[in-house]
Amino acid sequence: MPPQVNSPLPPGFQLEQYRIEQQLSLGGFSIVYLATDQEDKPVAIKEYLPNSLALRSGDQIEPQIAEEHQAAFRYGMKCFFEEGRSLARLMHPNVVRVLNFFRANGTVYMVMQFERGRTLQDYIQRNKGQIKERFIRGVFTRMLNGLREVHAHKLLHLDIKPSNIYLRNDGTPVLLDFGAARQTLAQDQPMLKPMYTPGFAPPEQFNDREHLGPWSDIYSTGAAMYACLAGNAPQRSDERLKKDLLEPATKRWAGQYSPQLLEIIDWCLDLDPLRRPQSVYALQKALVSRTRTAVAEVPGTLLGRVVLRLRALTGKA
Amino acid sequence: MKFTIYQESRPGARPNNQDRVAYSYTRESLLLVVADGMGGHLHGEIAAQIAVQYVVEAFQRAARPLVQDEAMFLSRCLGNAHAAIQDYAFDKNLPEAPRTTIVACLIQKSVAFWAHAGDSRLYLLRRGRIAQQTKDHSRLQMMLDQGLIDEEAAARHPARNRIYSCLGGSHSPQIEFSSPVPLFADDIVAICTDGVWGNLASEDFNTHLAGTNILDSTPGLMDQAERQGGASCDNLTILTMHWHDDYAEAQGPAISTEAMPADGITTRMEGFARPRPGESGGLTDADIEQAISEINLAIQKYSRFDPGK
Repeated sequence: MPPQVNSPLPPGFQLEQYRIEQQLSLGGFSIVYLATDQEDKPVAIKEYLPNSLALRSGDQIEPQIAEEHQAAFRYGMKCFFEEGRSLARLMHPNVVRVLNFFRANGTVYMVMQFERGRTLQDYIQRNKGQIKERFIRGVFTRMLNGLREVHAHKLLHLDIKPSNIYLRNDGTPVLLDFGAARQTLAQDQPMLKPMYTPGFAPPEQFNDREHLGPWSDIYSTGAAMYACLAGNAPQRSDERLKKDLLEPATKRWAGQYSPQLLEIIDWCLDLDPLRRPQSVYALQKALVSRTRTAVAEVPGTLLGRVVLRLRALTGKA
Repeated sequence: MKFTIYQESRPGARPNNQDRVAYSYTRESLLLVVADGMGGHLHGEIAAQIAVQYVVEAFQRAARPLVQDEAMFLSRCLGNAHAAIQDYAFDKNLPEAPRTTIVACLIQKSVAFWAHAGDSRLYLLRRGRIAQQTKDHSRLQMMLDQGLIDEEAAARHPARNRIYSCLGGSHSPQIEFSSPVPLFADDIVAICTDGVWGNLASEDFNTHLAGTNILDSTPGLMDQAERQGGASCDNLTILTMHWHDDYAEAQGPAISTEAMPADGITTRMEGFARPRPGESGGLTDADIEQAISEINLAIQKYSRFDPGK
């Protein structure tokens, strides 16, 4: 079946107590709208609408789901609920807030706090090659606060990338889109394969999903940092496994950024999950360490790197 | 077409399940099939799997959305399924082709056609009685027909599992075809393997199924058969189908094919390993409502800790 495009709800559409203003984004699994609530406050509404299973064409409101897709549609709905359940319990300034959850038009909707700002992706596009080290350390350290909260709830984000990191107007980051945070998505539902973004997904996300863990989100974080410097995504990890063409950050930007930051990026981007930082805390500690300790700490030697890693590891415990 | 359908297969007391069951339908045609691989022979479950898979695939090719010439279709696809099993045995150098019973029923334009080989049975229940029933291809049935033995003695006869027709094996099957049977609203078609009927009396089908929601009552029938099968219970497989009036209000989880596209096909075939029904069941409306209220409760509960508030 050729991929179909679902038409969004029209602007001005009254969806329960919300008024649709415009479509913000369209994914394979859902559509996100900007809407206003009764008090005219903006909210983001995510509509569950997997385009491989449900079709909304023209001006009809209720999507059509073929009989044979009913089971898969309902199954995907379960995953959508999982996302809602996880987000409802996460109360953190660096994680998007869920405000409401309801059922309408034969599908389900998740209402989220709308944040003013732009995505990190947008920021990278506008400031290609100009991004300062201070900015990277600041954004990622705070974003990792949110990710730590996610991991503390025994969840993995699994789709960390610049377009899912939102920068509020005051510069604080918010983690968006937990649509991929569903490890349980069974392999026997081919219509709803988890979606990931090539370039940011770790190798274990492509083939051995049983090895997923905090280190998987850490790979993606490293890839996002790499993208800040390079202006675009690094080579896909599944291709890196065949032929690794990714130039280490330590080589590519030597002299432009502190060697310690570059080391951290390469550390996160290790193809071997066990050789990456094993916890967000370990990574955060490394990210803030330069501001706390002397520059002389920056290890250029093998011994220095070992010390850095040992520190990060003991920091974890 | 409007119908309610239920299928279930249990291993009974056996280590593996050699029964196979499937149904498939288009907007205007419905196919039901059950096969019982023969345990005394090599690879019985492979024979049953090939037979069911072959019949379902043939249906998917032929039903567009109606099957032309129903009797010919059944004849051709059971015959070809037999050949497919023999081909398999030849390819794998098996000393003997595996064997399976089969019963297949094709329903379109409110008329049912069925065909069978061996001792898997079809019952047609109408207004609280058994209106039609297939005759087993067994010695015992022949003895019954000739009046050499009565039903009671037959139920305990040691050779009651010996059959003279099946798919696979070295002999050509003797396939028996029904005449076209018009279906009326609330007719129930049940097809099952001997693990089910062998442990039940014919009346049990009526008492359990007639006038009930088959989705609820069929598992009870299976429970009784399994109980009576005891410690040596054979594999049990049943498929029940309740036929509804096209114009009746859809009741509960009945399947209506009215809105299906002309080229749409829906198939359910049980694989080698399958969970018990209920475990694989999807989300019901009640589940959805519950999930939503749970999430909203969590939102309310945790928003009290909102540092921004």
